Amino acid sequence: MNNNHFSRYAPKSSIDIGVFLCRCGGNISDTVDIERLKSSIDAKVVKDFENLCSLKCQKNIRDIILEEDLDRAVIAACSPITHEKTFRNHVAPLNPYLLEMANLREQCSWVHSDSDKATDKAISLTNAAVERVKYARPLDTIVRKTKKSAAVIGGGISGITAALSLAKQGVKVDLIEKKPSVGGNMIKIGKVFSPEKLAEECALCLFNPLINEAVQHDNINIITNAEVKSSERKAGNFNLLVEKKPRQVWVDRCTACGNCAEVCPIDVPNEWNENLMMRKAIYKPFPQSVPDTYTIDEEHCIKCGNCEKVCNMNAINFSMKTEVIPLNVGSVVIATGHKGFDLKKRPEYGYTRYDDVISQMELARIMGVNGPTNGKLQRPSNGEIPRRLVMIQCAGSRDEKPEGKRYCSKVCCMVALKHANFIKHYYPETEIIICYTDMRTPGMYENYFRYGQSNKIKLIRGRPGDVTRKNGNLIVRVEDTLRGEQLEIETDMIILSEAMEASDGTLEVAKLLNVGLTEDLFVKEKHSKIKPVNTDIEGIFVCGTAQGPKDITDSVSQANAAASKVSELMNGGLEIEPLIAEIDHSECKLCGACIDSCKYKAVYMYDERISVDPIACNGCGICVAKCKNNAIEIMGQTDSQIYAMISGMLKDKKDGERRILVFLDYIGYVAADNIGVNRIPYPESVRIIRITSINRLMPKHIIHAFENGADGIFLGEYPDNVVYSNIQEKVHEFKTQLIKNGIDPDRLMYYKVYAPYFRGLAKKFYEFDKQVSKSLDKLEAVLYKASSKDI
Amino acid sequence: MKTLKIGENTFELADSIINDLKASENLGLLKCIQCGMCTSVCPAASHTDYDPRVIVKRVLDEDDSLISDDIIWNCFYCYSCHSVCPVNNSVCEINQILRQKSIEKVDGIRKIASFLAYGDSFLELGIGSIPNDFFNELIKDIGEEYFELKIHLDDIREELGLGTIILPENDLNDIKKILKKTGFTDRLTKIRRVKKDEEDTR
Ligand code: SF4
Ligand code: SF4
Ligand code: SF4
Ligand code: SF4
Repeated sequence: MNNNHFSRYAPKSSIDIGVFLCRCGGNISDTVDIERLKSSIDAKVVKDFENLCSLKCQKNIRDIILEEDLDRAVIAACSPITHEKTFRNHVAPLNPYLLEMANLREQCSWVHSDSDKATDKAISLTNAAVERVKYARPLDTIVRKTKKSAAVIGGGISGITAALSLAKQGVKVDLIEKKPSVGGNMIKIGKVFSPEKLAEECALCLFNPLINEAVQHDNINIITNAEVKSSERKAGNFNLLVEKKPRQVWVDRCTACGNCAEVCPIDVPNEWNENLMMRKAIYKPFPQSVPDTYTIDEEHCIKCGNCEKVCNMNAINFSMKTEVIPLNVGSVVIATGHKGFDLKKRPEYGYTRYDDVISQMELARIMGVNGPTNGKLQRPSNGEIPRRLVMIQCAGSRDEKPEGKRYCSKVCCMVALKHANFIKHYYPETEIIICYTDMRTPGMYENYFRYGQSNKIKLIRGRPGDVTRKNGNLIVRVEDTLRGEQLEIETDMIILSEAMEASDGTLEVAKLLNVGLTEDLFVKEKHSKIKPVNTDIEGIFVCGTAQGPKDITDSVSQANAAASKVSELMNGGLEIEPLIAEIDHSECKLCGACIDSCKYKAVYMYDERISVDPIACNGCGICVAKCKNNAIEIMGQTDSQIYAMISGMLKDKKDGERRILVFLDYIGYVAADNIGVNRIPYPESVRIIRITSINRLMPKHIIHAFENGADGIFLGEYPDNVVYSNIQEKVHEFKTQLIKNGIDPDRLMYYKVYAPYFRGLAKKFYEFDKQVSKSLDKLEAVLYKASSKDI
Repeated sequence: MKTLKIGENTFELADSIINDLKASENLGLLKCIQCGMCTSVCPAASHTDYDPRVIVKRVLDEDDSLISDDIIWNCFYCYSCHSVCPVNNSVCEINQILRQKSIEKVDGIRKIASFLAYGDSFLELGIGSIPNDFFNELIKDIGEEYFELKIHLDDIREELGLGTIILPENDLNDIKKILKKTGFTDRLTKIRRVKKDEEDTR
């Protein structure tokens, strides 16, 4: 065997190994001949016990380790999945990672009945563990202490909720808001509906107390008028640079008297009122703004100085500069929200062409007491109360045309009902027609839908194709699909239920922090079912509409979920198994190939050094194969350990015996254990080796196995979509290498393993064993021919 | 009442449309949400009891009678439905395919028999031209200018330096060969036969 492959962690010249065998109350010893096994193991101490996992044995093991001054331990017993933790404690004072286990129960005595063959296999399993443990290194569990601080980006309902929850759990929070005031979209909508009370309630009255609580909380620092400009990861923390635009007004001096705005000559469309009215270049976005102060809009201010002259507090100062604030935080929560779909992209609905065609958000502002009409419902074109109002649902949603959004925006059916009910309450004379494709009012919201029906909201099932004007009326053209009739509806006003889409801030922040987006451009959650607030970067979380369309209720629960995920990281720190990638900085040439290859975004560059985030890294080994400089090792699965395991499994192979190496990932290993638990037999040739992922293996390992007597190699892994494409590439690479080396590629196979389908795995073991045997027969025949020719 | 028997609700008709050469890639037929947006903009629906949404519904319901139903001949391929459908379905294309299916039977041939002259003009002159049958109608629709244009076409072309409209003999032969090879000529013969039978019985 060529020892040169073995990497730098060579075993010290003499290592004293103790092998502890478990009879498992007959579970193992009834099938495996323990005496023959004992006599075939080459180690300083080989001892058998009745029940190794018992407390009594713990003491025995410890005593033996101390008495015999052992350096390493092998436990040949049950599956490491069941008891590895227990045994790691048993071997103290040895470092827990100087232990190796051989699985003699689930993968030998429970699946084979021929005692002789089972004993042979038990010997090779134990030998492999002995070989491998020689290359083990003492490792320490990584305790990751995350800084007890977080940055929440976005000051809408989600951001404020997350910040408050974190602050109450003792986490220092910097809340960063791009606009001059916190509040987000919720502050604009005026009303929220209650499906229980069947009423519309004041949104601000619900939200304002939360905002005030956030302002007053000692753990929360609100930074408004500010944007994150850069981000760097470092040892599980984040260094952010936040740029705060100058307000040109001293926040602590300004009393918000408003004298300044009165003398400002510049009118600017008021974005907080959907541009339906004007504001000045010096302005306070809305009466309840937080902070409660005026701000100069640099883009529009002409620096005439009028405001400065009238300010009694001397609060205005034109020489303020952009401030850059460095933040070092343990976690980041993205709560950057959404924006309304640009209705100009659906020109057939006449938005901007007709004054009386408006969006739901514009209607919200018109209906808001602090809005452009002081809460009166008026037609924008002439100020009259509309006699009829038609709402068009799914404007921009559920639309696969290029400018549209494919998804359902989830809230607009409820928003339309809310506004319709509210209008019906105050303007019973105004007729309301909702043209819908489907009314989506799941769960309790159905209550509120029926309430709308009893309020005599008229519903027409059909999606309008266009809006025109005839005889001074707006005309909505639609098919009443339930009657199968083309219909032209005359109306005074049209409200388009605009789709929700990711805000510009969401896109910017996602790019800056390098988190992944969905096809629909929302921040992608790590797993939509079980990890709904994690992003693909450890330590960065998402909540609210930045993650996808949702209502206030869902945004609030998601914000709380994100906060508790952050505090999970921070409270007490996290203990992580050290079985992750380690960079050898003396070999690393900083090429960055590993950063690009890592599917878990665990590798990053900081201060001209490659670092691995221990929480994110799952030891899959993709990077190892990509590093041209041999600068990466996976702890616990170093090259030497893999070679040793392979050689150990193949040691003392008898003439005519078949040995198949089966590499399984965690799920595969559990499935194999299940085969054992269910006592389903499979060929004795199978020798299972646990790895984190097939991606850890390289052609050199495969070739090494065949050179050392493996008859076949079986690779089993759960086809997780993150790394599956890499697995396919790997398998292809292996097969190509086999062909190059004159080995039949049929002697290697990949199989997708699913934990519940362990029976399928057992069946595959049989099939593969046959396939290998066939291939070997073919080879035999060829060799025979060749040799007979020689003669 | 109709009973929907087990095994009756297949997608054969829909599949045959989706897999037809004429259907655009990713035709959203199966994704139709029956929103009626197509109908709302369909001029044929405004003037007749034709309803493009219902065409899709009937295809999805595996209603074979659609192929011999006169209703599919109401669409005039304006593509309005095609341009608005939110799931990229196209009733316009569906109709074209349904009509081909109908033409494979005698029903459809009767429908297109009056267009025979278009085909004949390709065979004879190698170019498309408006059949004489329609001449008077067009003068009615467009006015005397149309008559003038037709009468003086050669002079006008000459004045514009365009030369004669008649194709050279060689090119004409090539076109005839193509029409023969692609089955066009045979198809015309078939239509002519149906048309003749029809006239005879009348
Ligand atoms: S919530 Fe209603 S209006 Fe909005 S996209 Fe979904 S179905 Fe259409
Ligand atoms: S691939 Fe290797 S050499 Fe390149 S940056 Fe990563 S560790 Fe360094
Ligand atoms: S517009 Fe498209 S989705 Fe809507 S009914 Fe017509 S074909 Fe179906
Ligand atoms: S193409 Fe046909 S079905 Fe479509 S809108 Fe035009 S006439 Fe109607």
